[in-house]
Formats: sequence, structure tokens, C-alpha cells
Amino acid sequence: MRKLRVLLVDDEIIIREGFKRLFDWDAHDCEVAGEAADGMEALSRIDMLDPDLVIMDINIPILNGLKVIQLSRIKHPDTAFIIVSGYDDFSYCREALRLQITDYILKPVNYEEFGACIDRLKISLFQRSRSRESASAEEERPIVGITRYLQEHLAEDISLSILAEEFHLSGQYISQLFKSEIGVNFLSYLTGIRMEKAKQLLLATALPIAEISAQSGYGDYRVFTKVFKKSEGVTPSQYRRDFLENA
Amino acid sequence: MLRMEIALFLVMAFVAAIYYSAGWRHTPLHRTFAVLPGTVLVHLLFDAATLYTVNHPDAVPRFWNDTLHRLFIGTMVLVVYLFYQYIAILVSEASGQPRRLDRAARAFLVLAELGALLLPVHYAVTPQGNYSDGIHANVCYVSVGFYLLLCVLLLWKYWRQLDRRQRSAIGAAMLIELSVCALQGFHPTWLISGMGISLMTLSFYLTLENPEILRSELVEQKMSMLYLKSQVNPHFLYNTLDTIRIQAQLNGDKQVADLLMRLVDFFRLSVKVDRPMVTLDDELELLEAYMDLMCCRYPELHCAYDIDPDLGGAQVPNFILQPIVENSLLHGLRNKGYRGEVTISAQKVPQGMEIAVRDSGSGFAPGKKAAIDEMLRSHARQAPKLTGSSIGILNVQKRVKLLCGRDYGLSYTENETGGVTAHILLPLGKENT
Repeated sequence: MRKLRVLLVDDEIIIREGFKRLFDWDAHDCEVAGEAADGMEALSRIDMLDPDLVIMDINIPILNGLKVIQLSRIKHPDTAFIIVSGYDDFSYCREALRLQITDYILKPVNYEEFGACIDRLKISLFQRSRSRESASAEEERPIVGITRYLQEHLAEDISLSILAEEFHLSGQYISQLFKSEIGVNFLSYLTGIRMEKAKQLLLATALPIAEISAQSGYGDYRVFTKVFKKSEGVTPSQYRRDFLENA
Repeated sequence: MLRMEIALFLVMAFVAAIYYSAGWRHTPLHRTFAVLPGTVLVHLLFDAATLYTVNHPDAVPRFWNDTLHRLFIGTMVLVVYLFYQYIAILVSEASGQPRRLDRAARAFLVLAELGALLLPVHYAVTPQGNYSDGIHANVCYVSVGFYLLLCVLLLWKYWRQLDRRQRSAIGAAMLIELSVCALQGFHPTWLISGMGISLMTLSFYLTLENPEILRSELVEQKMSMLYLKSQVNPHFLYNTLDTIRIQAQLNGDKQVADLLMRLVDFFRLSVKVDRPMVTLDDELELLEAYMDLMCCRYPELHCAYDIDPDLGGAQVPNFILQPIVENSLLHGLRNKGYRGEVTISAQKVPQGMEIAVRDSGSGFAPGKKAAIDEMLRSHARQAPKLTGSSIGILNVQKRVKLLCGRDYGLSYTENETGGVTAHILLPLGKENT
């Protein structure tokens, strides 16, 4: 897995510096390829650098963040975006989600927790590439089988040793596969897809939280609530309520 | 007819009593209105007196009959002048323009009063009753006409600058006076001028000068001022704080950065929530941000939570915990040098849920508990406070009672081991039982 190339966009230099120096990019297999201070500059940098990921404030001069995404989609449909916003305003969020950005986080950015955001991004990049290749590839790579197995069994107890037994591979090898093919460790991947499942159930169904917790693979729904809060910034019930209120 | 005058007199006396007891005489507008009920009362006295004397010419000497009529017409002109004055001040306050017609109005007042005092009085005697007519009686018709005309001129020019309430008050008052005056002109024996004047005063009183309306306006104004003060562009505030936080961390000061992070959290959370009811989770998040900051400022201050996890989604009135905890800190733990512990717990109880804030502070000073208990019991009689020492807990009590019902609310008990516990009893929605 090659390093992800990142473009930072914010009109405040201190915030760009913060991102650049306070987050451990190396540990997450990323490198900062460039910076931009406004929407126009961001567009030209995207053209020039063709980054894998743009981390961008939504409220920037000349062109706002949403416009930048729209315009760059034409030439760079695969560039992923992480929107950083000081306005915790769900209408922005919804608009951004419609533009199929990868993620949306709120200021103040906690650099220790930003890694989870990068992991989520890698998972979705992996899922996107997998869905493309499934049509063309003749021989299935082991990681594809493993992730499909996880998707189908995420409500159950899963561990590396169970996977090892199922696929007749060593646990250590599977762990390395995750790191090399997707770029995240096994547990982050599992948590990531479980949270995706939970969010989907929260918005699409009226199931009680305890039931959603069980279907997402968490026997104890207090643990589920804690993990969800850490990952999404809000509790599961808040997440559902915010969506319903703003729908 | 005498009975109507007595009834009007009593109504106006009642209005005057309420108005004077409320004591709203700070602005020219209110000072002008304050003269009105008194003048109207005096006028109604002469009205009633002349009603009797004009129909009993044999029992009352002509001189007294004339004098009472002169005073009757004189006070009436004065009342109509005051109406004009009131409307003129109202319009000039609303439009910001000077009162240009005042000189004409005053000059006319002098002329009309001289006429009322000096012109000869004449009486018409009819089978339906007697009344005064002729040039003297016409003084009041002319003055009413003159002042109404001035008012119409003012309103014609500035109608758009008036708000809805002012328009309806002035419109109603002028319509009443115009129709009463016309009726009186065509049916001189009806003698309803007193009614017109009283109704006009009432229409101003009820729509514009009612003490309740004035008080609520004042509170509203103060509230919106406070609101504005607390709202000085929050985005600017926490965006700047966030930049400072990042710079601190860039400079290698992780501790300052973490503190600022919590402060930004606290501001963001307290600005975000604008609903009257929020979930307990939201309320606790705000409280945690606040307590983290306080515990950091006072390292020997500790905070513990014991929250029933099933209650996280329960609806509670917005912003009730932080004021209570702040109160515990300022009045309990501060006296012990901020050494001690605050425990926040939320549990189900038979009536709903109870949130308890327990501190290991200095406890109540002698007599303080009784005073607090009394204040919380009589919360309904206390005006909403904007400043003062017990503002926090009184407002929490008011809000809980208002939003959840009178069975719920705030109370204090003393701990056996020292310190105080605040209990907030709240209802529990069906989804949480």
C-alpha cells in the first residue's frame, strides 16, 4: 500500500501548521503533499498534485469548500475529501455528504483522534477499489474473501484466531494482510465496518439502540455507546435524533 | 344618566389606582399619561355635578350652575389637549421627528380655556331634559375637532413609523371620540361626552400603558440585551480559541492545549443548544467540559459521576446542571479552598428520575438553609432574576416547574458527613421507563 498524498486547505496558517506537525502522518502511511489558503488555490493545487485526500475547511475565501469539491469532481473524481468545519450545522453536513466526500469532522480537531478518521477513509477507499475489481478479477485475493466474511459475520464474535481457522491462514499473516492491503489494523477495520452498519441501522430503522448494538456485534450496549461516541462524536441516540430533526 | 357617570368614575378611579401604584413615570410619554386619569376623574366629577344642576335650575342658583359648566367644559378641553399631547409624544418617539404642532396646540388651549371661562352660558330646556348649548357649549366641539385634526395630521405623516399596537390604540381612541362627539352633537340630551373620554383613556391604558405590558417589555429588553451580550459572535470566540490551542500545542505546551480544547468544547456546547429540553447526555457533556476546567484550575477538586446509563436519552430542561454545580462550588467548596469532591448522580426513582449534586463543602451557614428553602418554595412569587446571588438556583427551579410541572423541582438537603446535596426531581418520559 503506497502512501496517501494529502493536501491541506485552511485560510489560517496556524491551523495548517497544526495539522502538518501535530498529527503523526508517517504512522498512518500518509504524507502532506501541499497546502492551500483559499478555494481557488485549492483547485489549482488539486490539478497540480492530484492528491489522494484533501483535508479542507468548509468556510474558506473566494470559493467555499463545497464548491471546491463540486468543481474538482470533474477532473479528479477519485479524490477523497475530509471536510473540517467550525459550523456544526447539519445542513452543511448533508450537502457535503451528497457530494460523496469521505468524512466530515468538527473543529476543534483532536489530533489523537484524527487517526480514526484516516482509518475510516482507508477502509472506504479499499471498499471502493474492491467493488471495481470484483467484476474484472478472475482470481480472488485472500483479503477480499476475508473482508466479505467480516461483512457477513459482523454481528458475531470475531477475532483473528477465528478468521485464521476459517481461512486456514495464520493470525499474524491475516493481520499483516490488513496492514499491507488496506493500511489499517484488523481491529480498526472491524470497528469501522461495525460503526458503518450501526449508522445505517440507526437512520434506516426504528430499532431500539440495544438491538442495533447487538446487530453491529456489540453484546454490551454500553460498550457500543462508548465506541460509537468516540468514533462519531455523539451518542447513538443523539446521532439518530440529529438526523431526524434535520431531515 | 347620573348612574353612568358614577360607574365611569369608579372604573377610571380603579385604572388610576393601578397605574399610579405601578409607578411608571420615567419618560415624557408615561408622565403625560399619568396626568390623564386624574384629570379625567376631576372632569367626571364636574360632569356628574352639571348633570344634576342643569336639570334642577330651581334648586341651584344660576351662578353655581354656570360656574360648574365652565369648569366642566374647561376640564374637558384640557383632557382633549392631553390626548393630543400623548399622541404627539408617541408619534415623535416612534418617528424621531420633533413635535412641530405643539405651539399651535398650546395657543389653542389658552384660547379655548378663556372661552370656557368667559363666554356666556346658555341652557336649552326640552321635555327630554335640559342641556347647555350656544357659543359656550360649542367651545368643546370646536376643541375636540381641532385636536382631532392635529392628530390626523400627525398620523397621516407618520402612520408607517408606528407599530401595530400603537396604531390600534390610537385608531380605536380616535374612532371612539369622533363617533361619541358626533352622536352628542346630533342628540344633545344623551350627554355621553364623559363616556367618550373615559373610553378613550381606557383604550390607551389597555393597549399601551398597562403596567403588565410595560413590565414585560422591560424584562424582554433586558433579556435581549443579556442575550446579545452572551452572543457576541460565538464562532469568532471559539475559532480564535482553537487557533490559540493549536499554537500552544505547536509550541509544545500540551497541557495548555488540552485546557483550551475543553474551553472550546464548553463554549461550543453552551452556544449550540437552543431548545428548552435536551437529553441528559447533552446536559452532562456540557457539565463535564465545565468540571474538567474547574478541576484543572483547582487540582484538589475532584468530580465523580454515577449515572444510570439507561437515562442517557431522557429529556431534561436545558442548562440546569451547570448552575447547580457552580453554586455548590462557589458556596460550598470555595470556603474549603476548593478541596473536596462533587458527585453527580442520576437514578430512577418512583416519581421519575432524580439528579443529585452532592458536595463535600462547608455546608449551609446558620439560617441559610431556611432562607434557600423559602425562596425555592415561593419561586412563583419571585420575579425572574437577572442578577444577584441566588439567580442560578432560582432560575433552575422556575424552569423545572414551568417545563415539567409543579410536582417536580429542586430541593436541598444537608449531608451527615458535611456538605450539601441538591436534588432535582424530574419526570421520566415513557421511552425511558
